[in-house]
Amino acid sequence: MGKRNFSVASLPGFGTIAIITFIFLYLPIVTLVVYSFNEAASMSRWEGFSLRWYEAALANRQVQDVSIRSLVIAGWAATLATILATMAALATTRNERRFPGQTMIYALINQPLMVPEIVTGVALLIFFAMIKIATGYQGLGYLIAAHTAFCIPFAYLPIRARLETMDLTLERAAADLYATPLQAFRHVTLPLLVPGILAGFMLGFVTSLDTVVITEFVKSAGQDTLPTYMLGQLRRVVTPEMNAISTLFLLLSLIAVTVFFLLSRKKA
Amino acid sequence: MPSSTTRSDIEIDQLSKVFGSGDDAVRALDAVSLTIPENEFFTLLGPSGCGKTTLLRMIAGFEQPSSGAIRLGGSDIADLPPNKRPVNTVFQSYALFPHMTVAQNIGFALKMLGRPKAEIEATVAEMLKLVKMEPMANRKPSQISGGQQQRVALARALAPRPRVLLLDEPLSALDLKLRKEMQVELKRLQGETGITFVFVTHDQEEALTMSDRIAVMSAGKVRQVGTPREIYNHPADRFVADFIGDTNFLTATVEKANGATARVRLPSGHQLDAGLPTGLSPVSGDEVTLVTRPEHARLATEGPLKGTVENAVYFGTDTHIHVRLDTGDLFILRNQNTTSAAALPEKGDPVAIAIPDGAVRIVRS
Ligand SMILES: Nc1ncnc2c1ncn2[C@@H]1O[C@H](COP(=O)(O)OP(=O)(O)OP(=O)(O)O)[C@@H](O)[C@H]1O
Ligand SMILES: [Mg+2]
Repeated sequence: MGKRNFSVASLPGFGTIAIITFIFLYLPIVTLVVYSFNEAASMSRWEGFSLRWYEAALANRQVQDVSIRSLVIAGWAATLATILATMAALATTRNERRFPGQTMIYALINQPLMVPEIVTGVALLIFFAMIKIATGYQGLGYLIAAHTAFCIPFAYLPIRARLETMDLTLERAAADLYATPLQAFRHVTLPLLVPGILAGFMLGFVTSLDTVVITEFVKSAGQDTLPTYMLGQLRRVVTPEMNAISTLFLLLSLIAVTVFFLLSRKKA
Repeated sequence: MPSSTTRSDIEIDQLSKVFGSGDDAVRALDAVSLTIPENEFFTLLGPSGCGKTTLLRMIAGFEQPSSGAIRLGGSDIADLPPNKRPVNTVFQSYALFPHMTVAQNIGFALKMLGRPKAEIEATVAEMLKLVKMEPMANRKPSQISGGQQQRVALARALAPRPRVLLLDEPLSALDLKLRKEMQVELKRLQGETGITFVFVTHDQEEALTMSDRIAVMSAGKVRQVGTPREIYNHPADRFVADFIGDTNFLTATVEKANGATARVRLPSGHQLDAGLPTGLSPVSGDEVTLVTRPEHARLATEGPLKGTVENAVYFGTDTHIHVRLDTGDLFILRNQNTTSAAALPEKGDPVAIAIPDGAVRIVRS
């Protein structure tokens, strides 16, 4: 450890600030999880360990319904967004010369990161209402379409980041070695891009699972997702069942993130 | 020189490349014409930025010419994409596919061409043997050394038996010893395969030792094309003379030109016969630039050049003696060291320099 190597960790108070930060980040979540195992029906008193709220939550038909709907929407939205984002990322990085308006397109693709979600929500509400009147279609398609659009930038960013670290010379080498553009993509670009695609899918999936505002505006009657259902419940009675559902939701997200992390690490 | 019976393989005809447009247009290549016969080890030599890579990239098909033509075996290849050209490249960065094994890398081109599995396996085995990489067939590129990666890149480009192999400074990332080994190796491979090599380097020694012929380039133009001997002994202009090997420049006045040589007078009054590059015919009274190589001149008691020793640098096999001429110019001599520790001149010694006949040439300035 040379003295010349400056390290922020050596600054006074570094440890304290780090601990406070972690407390802020994790204490509320830890509390939530701990109280999900509370025997009592109240949120404020601890009366001993119990799994009764998990049993209640898992037996709740409504919870089952909204969870499945959330997963279906997230699955579709993340898949579609990943495909679109991959194509967009290829178009914006895999050209020998920048085309006019390339930066503009980059900004346009990332629209959902810049336009306030509530504005998108209102816009979609009005837009989809018009389509609903015109077509009479009431299905999940609206939510899937809205989530897909919203997830594109989250899928796009890791894919683009991966492509940018990938040397264009590799694809040039493939072309030099008689690969057609399609073969070069299939045998060189795609295999190297897999970690980025997995990361993009994962981010899109988790983003879709989590989206409340847009869902709230777009959903038809009976199309609650897990987060909008929870929000609705919290407005009425608050029981530790909510803690249990939240904990399960957290677990689901963690599993998704971990699985994709491991997959992308293995491939890289 | 290639005999007239060899077929020309690559013809580059008035090829120009301009990057950008308007005020910041860069003319990377300026009306370059070259003819490279089959089976030749041809080298593009020149300083950084002179357009070597641009020329290679246009032959490979990664870059479109602004004007001019490239013909391969007589037919224009302007409209062929890289994957349709019988030309392979060894990239400066190797560009090995990191997710494939050494064997898969080498077999890639044949796989893309849809060759039968047995043929691919046989060729890969043959190539692995050629570059002595058999024990590492199943390693990934990240698990082999830089020199080994270089050999794999070479094998990968040779596997489909291209008509022409383009090599863009393939040795520049290697250390000196490995570099010397690979120089020999490359020369051997070129001889064994009979493939035309177009080799890019900015190392003049590498170019001189490896090439059948060299094109010396500068600022997008070809200055001279010739065998290493021609380039070294008969440089066409000041740039070539300066770029290839160490050179002493002198100014002199022409007394009389007669064909291939000219009688010139040095400022000291001494007269010498100097060789002339083809196409140059100075007349009496012209000021000309003379070049002479450090190893051709020697210290003498009497000679056309006089000066004072500034420095003597010992290099093992030889000693470089820096002499400040009475005209103010610096002149470098290279004296081979012998076992008998002959007395070397010391700093401040007045000396004379003798230049044998045929060791002085006039160059275009
Ligand atoms: N894509 C490009 N856009 C603009 N200018 C370029 C481009 N590629 C090359 N150039 C310019 O063209 C000239 C020739 O470049 P090139 O890469 O061919 O040089 P080089 O001889 O290979 O040099 P080095 O020995 O450094 O590799 C340089 O001035 C370079 O800046
Ligand atoms: Mg170059």
